[in-house]
Amino acid sequence: MAENAIIAVNEVSKAFTRPVLKKVSLSVDTPQSLFVCGINGAGKSTFLKLLAGLLQPDSGSVFIKGKCLRKETEYVKSKLGIIMHQSMVYPDLTVLENLDFFARLYGVPGRQERIRLLLEQVGLTAFRYDKASVLSRGLLQRLSIARAMVHEPEVMFADEPFTGLDMTSTDYLTAMLSDFRSRGGTVIMTTHDVSQGLRCADRVVVIDQGGIILDRGISQIDPSRFANDYVQYARESA
Amino acid sequence: MNYFLQSLKSVFVKDVLIELRSRQVLPTMIVQGMLIVWVLRIASEAVSSAVTVVGPVALWIAFIFSGLLAQERSFAAEHDEGCINGLIVAPIDEGTIYLAKLLVNVVMLSVYELVLTPIVMLAFKLTLSGNIGLFILVLMLGNIGISSVGTLFSAVVQLTRTRGSLLSILVLAILAPMMVPATFALLILFNVIPPELAGTGALAFVGTLKTAISYMAVFDIVFVTACWLLFGFVVKE
Amino acid sequence: MIRRILLFVNLILILASMWIALTIGQIRGPQANPDSVVRNIIYAHVPSSICAMLCFVVLLVASIGYLITSKRTWDLLAMASAEVGTVFAAILNLTGSIFSRAEWGMWWTPSPRLVSAALLWFLCVVYLILRSSIAGSADKKARICAVYGIIAFLDVPMVYISARYMQDIHQPSFSFDAAGQRLAFFMSMASIVLLGALLIWIRTDLLKIKNRLEEHF
Repeated sequence: MAENAIIAVNEVSKAFTRPVLKKVSLSVDTPQSLFVCGINGAGKSTFLKLLAGLLQPDSGSVFIKGKCLRKETEYVKSKLGIIMHQSMVYPDLTVLENLDFFARLYGVPGRQERIRLLLEQVGLTAFRYDKASVLSRGLLQRLSIARAMVHEPEVMFADEPFTGLDMTSTDYLTAMLSDFRSRGGTVIMTTHDVSQGLRCADRVVVIDQGGIILDRGISQIDPSRFANDYVQYARESA
Repeated sequence: MNYFLQSLKSVFVKDVLIELRSRQVLPTMIVQGMLIVWVLRIASEAVSSAVTVVGPVALWIAFIFSGLLAQERSFAAEHDEGCINGLIVAPIDEGTIYLAKLLVNVVMLSVYELVLTPIVMLAFKLTLSGNIGLFILVLMLGNIGISSVGTLFSAVVQLTRTRGSLLSILVLAILAPMMVPATFALLILFNVIPPELAGTGALAFVGTLKTAISYMAVFDIVFVTACWLLFGFVVKE
Repeated sequence: MIRRILLFVNLILILASMWIALTIGQIRGPQANPDSVVRNIIYAHVPSSICAMLCFVVLLVASIGYLITSKRTWDLLAMASAEVGTVFAAILNLTGSIFSRAEWGMWWTPSPRLVSAALLWFLCVVYLILRSSIAGSADKKARICAVYGIIAFLDVPMVYISARYMQDIHQPSFSFDAAGQRLAFFMSMASIVLLGALLIWIRTDLLKIKNRLEEHF
């Protein structure tokens, strides 16, 4: 395993009442966009939470940029961004205040300029004095993306980011993610919308019954057969 | 150190801002406190000699129960939109989150105390005989004690269906020991117990104002430290 | 097997100490009613208080153990000691109450040891309620309970100190003079502490089995 891998996961296991992940290993050596798919309850959300440090693995370890998540937590966390289906912004604060709070939390230098730029990117400049509670689902998700990117992370975890988004917001999100990706960021994403996932990804990972059963570059799979039934496809090609 | 203060301040300012925006908690707390005091006042009317004794008890009961309202909200707001996850993935120490929340709850309870204490004193015909500085010290020590445990367990009860009621039994069970010296201190400061009798065997209580205050200070130090150290374990998923 | 032998030995010990307590170890009743056996209840009362305290110590150790190692066994041990602690704290308070009624004429009154004993029971019961109300992963549940266990333990010395602010009615009005009384006291102490330890042990194993069953089905 490369010392300077962006993400290195060594045999992590996690059990709730029953085992969810069993000795899963994964390595991401170069900046890329990873699409993690699996049926409900396969363990993809758990996997993402383990990577982001929201959950502690029962065994195994996670390294991000060569640093152990458990030991050098503060350094690692400052490199991570996370988007989930919950917006993770405060409904009673305005768009601007929300971003300002998270920018302060991460100690972002040149806060105001950074926020102004972000608001432009996600198209929320006109709404910056509105409370988050009055934003529509799509606008809220855009704010959530801006929130995740405020400290210019190097790795972005996106758990079901497309849920409940309309076309415009989906386009914004896709554009943000590919822009992030083109600037050398790494994206790890789960979604139920397989075709959407395939559109954004460089590499596909299928999780089933607590383990990775397929891990391949996007060019090495047959997209239509994959989209049709990826579990079946993964089992056949394994 | 610098980052610690900066992150402490940003979480604190954010929470105060949210409370100022929504104006949900403090008015409810004050009305609840007034109701508690009022009910105890009319109930104690039957025996007029008991009125002044019930006063300090009413004060602490009101502080505890209204404090619960503030504490419960302090993490409910984080769980509504999953914001707590946003805090956990940020490079902020969990202990700092605890301290910021504790500070918010202490400030809210202080504002509440400012309103409610005169009401209690009027209702129960209490006059302050002791040093006002000591009086404020006793109220603040009680305030910190009440908030310390409540803030920790507030993060816990968000995962339960019973939330507020579970929080109340957790907090009451842990706070029970502090209530004896806390009430005793107020009884002396309000001159319900004559100061010259304090510390003698003639009363149901033995001890002096000084020992009561030092007990409360020790209680606060022990529980704030313990909660601060243990907070990381309860907040992580 | 060894546990069955121990249980059997324990049973004999308990019966023997009861027999001794009521024969050569008998304590004479209060002056008003010297033939009463009511004071003999302290042979159950004092060991129960020791046992309840020991359960709290085990709870503390197991809680810290879990937070450090994340091993399931520690959590189950904590749970078992809280349950057994609840039982002994209940016995402590009930026997204490009966004794108090006979000796001082009231079922309960705020007095240092009575307050402490009551709080012990409350803390244990709150632990069990907390445990049954948390949703979420087993690990998170265990961590929360461990944190409560530690905080609750810290509360015990606090209540011992704060209860000193009250007048103490709880003075022993007699002492164990006769050799028979001392023997009875020693035997009951040994048998009840052994009973407590066995209960925690068995309960922990039972919880382990239950846990394994839940994992498989």
